[in-house]
Amino acid sequence: MKVTGFTDIIKKSPFGPIRAHMLVSKASVDELITFLKSAIDSDWNEAVKSRKVISDLENQADTLKAETRGLLTKSLFLAVPREDILDLIKLADDIPNTVKDISGLMIGRQMEIPAKISSSFLHFAKEAAVISDAASEAVNYIDELFQFSFGGNAAIKMQQLIEKLDSLENKNDQTEINLRAELFAIEKDLPPVNVIFLYDVINKIGELSDRAEQVGHRISLIASR
Amino acid sequence: MEVIALYGPYLLIAGCIFGFFMAWGIGANDVANAMGPSVGAKALTLAQAILVACIFEFAGAYLAGGEVTSTIRKGIIDPVLLADSPELLVFGMMASLLAAGVWLIIASFKGWPVSTTHSIVGAIVGFAAVGIGVESVNWSKVGSIVSSWVISPIMAGVISYLIFKSVQNLILNTKDPFDNAKKYVPGYIFLVGFIISMVTLLKGLKHVGLTLNFQESLTYSIFIGIVIALLGSLILRRVENTYEKRGDVVFDGVEKVFGVLMVFTACAMAFAHGSNDVANAVGPLAAIVSVIQSGGEIASKSTMPWWILLLGGVGIVSGLAMLGYRVIETVGRNITELTPSRGFAAVLAAAATVVLGSGTGLPLSTTHTLVGAVLGVGLARGISAIDLGVVGRIIVSWVVTLPVGAGLSILFFFTLKGIFS
Repeated sequence: MKVTGFTDIIKKSPFGPIRAHMLVSKASVDELITFLKSAIDSDWNEAVKSRKVISDLENQADTLKAETRGLLTKSLFLAVPREDILDLIKLADDIPNTVKDISGLMIGRQMEIPAKISSSFLHFAKEAAVISDAASEAVNYIDELFQFSFGGNAAIKMQQLIEKLDSLENKNDQTEINLRAELFAIEKDLPPVNVIFLYDVINKIGELSDRAEQVGHRISLIASR
Repeated sequence: MEVIALYGPYLLIAGCIFGFFMAWGIGANDVANAMGPSVGAKALTLAQAILVACIFEFAGAYLAGGEVTSTIRKGIIDPVLLADSPELLVFGMMASLLAAGVWLIIASFKGWPVSTTHSIVGAIVGFAAVGIGVESVNWSKVGSIVSSWVISPIMAGVISYLIFKSVQNLILNTKDPFDNAKKYVPGYIFLVGFIISMVTLLKGLKHVGLTLNFQESLTYSIFIGIVIALLGSLILRRVENTYEKRGDVVFDGVEKVFGVLMVFTACAMAFAHGSNDVANAVGPLAAIVSVIQSGGEIASKSTMPWWILLLGGVGIVSGLAMLGYRVIETVGRNITELTPSRGFAAVLAAAATVVLGSGTGLPLSTTHTLVGAVLGVGLARGISAIDLGVVGRIIVSWVVTLPVGAGLSILFFFTLKGIFS
């Protein structure tokens, strides 16, 4: 016998799968670091293994994205605008996709990273990982924001998290500029096609940080409405 | 007349069995609505919830169930018009109980959200309008009952919205949510005790032989409210602010304070539910009993025998004790999204609305009132996601239940009439 009571109108919060999605994104950026280390060492066997992990994580992220969208049926009355949640998940989903692109590109071309810039390169990627970590923290904090219904200490704390994210991203922008300058200084000694793709990879890693920052901004928009 | 003289005792026993079965069904099914949130929020264990529900459902049914019972018994149809053929009233009320019972069983199996209240009111109006005559129905009373079905969810929604907004402003959106919760929650507990005792004292206790005027009721209710609030403060003193870590985020212990509050609102909801829904089972029975006991006289002035509410109370409690645990568990598990601070706002608003209905003799649907209350909290951005599709289904079932209840009771009415004459 099935009982239908008033409790049936309360649906699962869509933020559960979003949080899980963000954790997956974070894990994929972390795996990218491992991948880059292998690439710098030209250890392509290890790199392929990392690439497999990244690809699996991307699949997981897709599943979670679909789950979130499935929770957002038309008849749902939400405490935050549906469009904002859809935007949030779309932005967040770019992160594992970009990570997959980067790893695919580098494996496909067996890209060598010049020894002169390898440490700066790794540093730049690690910063991107820190930023996605901060974004994941902000996503996690949405629950707390809900508990205190978007006000009080929780809102202040969220603002701080977003500010931290912004300053990390600014720092990362500067790192990107420096890395490009280093590459520029040595580019005439490298095969031109390789250089083009190196710039492309740098661009894509920069995108990771941009996306993470945008996730933060979307959350602060959700929080302030 | 001869029918009553001949078959009186059998009809009486059959009526008691039907009435008891209805009460049993109400206890087994609907009580979950009152207790589910507390179990889901882990404010009460399942065993505690059953115990609390038993005590307060019974108290509500016995102490405050009189007004609504009398509405069902003699408010919807005018018994005086049936003075010449009292057996029709007996058949009709019996048919209504059967119709509502059968419809509820069907609906429960299908998982449709039907309301006992709507079934029984539809059934009574149905047999009276078709079996006896359109003029036998007190249409103005029916009108006020139906409008109360529209107003009660809205009212509960407005109250829960205001309660939750006040929680936001006084507690959640402050610097020290935990300390402020400890400070203000006894105030909410006072409100719980005050509202329930006010309505009960003012309206409900006539049949127990206690009649208080407004001034006396107010004084006693304030006193009861203060006593309950003090009790709450004593319990709250033992609640400590423990932080809970979930993932990377630390949660403040403020919900624990609301957990204590929820125990009180759960009691209030059980009381309110008992006071309003017992009538769905024993209202028709009361009508049957009064006809048969007076030997076929339709005595609308006679008071209701005390044991009828007792029977209803015992029926609810036994249904609750036998099957309630399963339903409460299921409902409780489904609503982890409803934290204590939200749950209490919704449940308190619903309980206040339902008790008010009980006091004024209006049979309301507890489920629908709770739906309204949850929507109110949702509007205050307290709940992340509410399925309006379910709300739509509930409204549809609301509309469908009335004609189905009426149709079934007409069928049973003519069957009974055919058998006995």
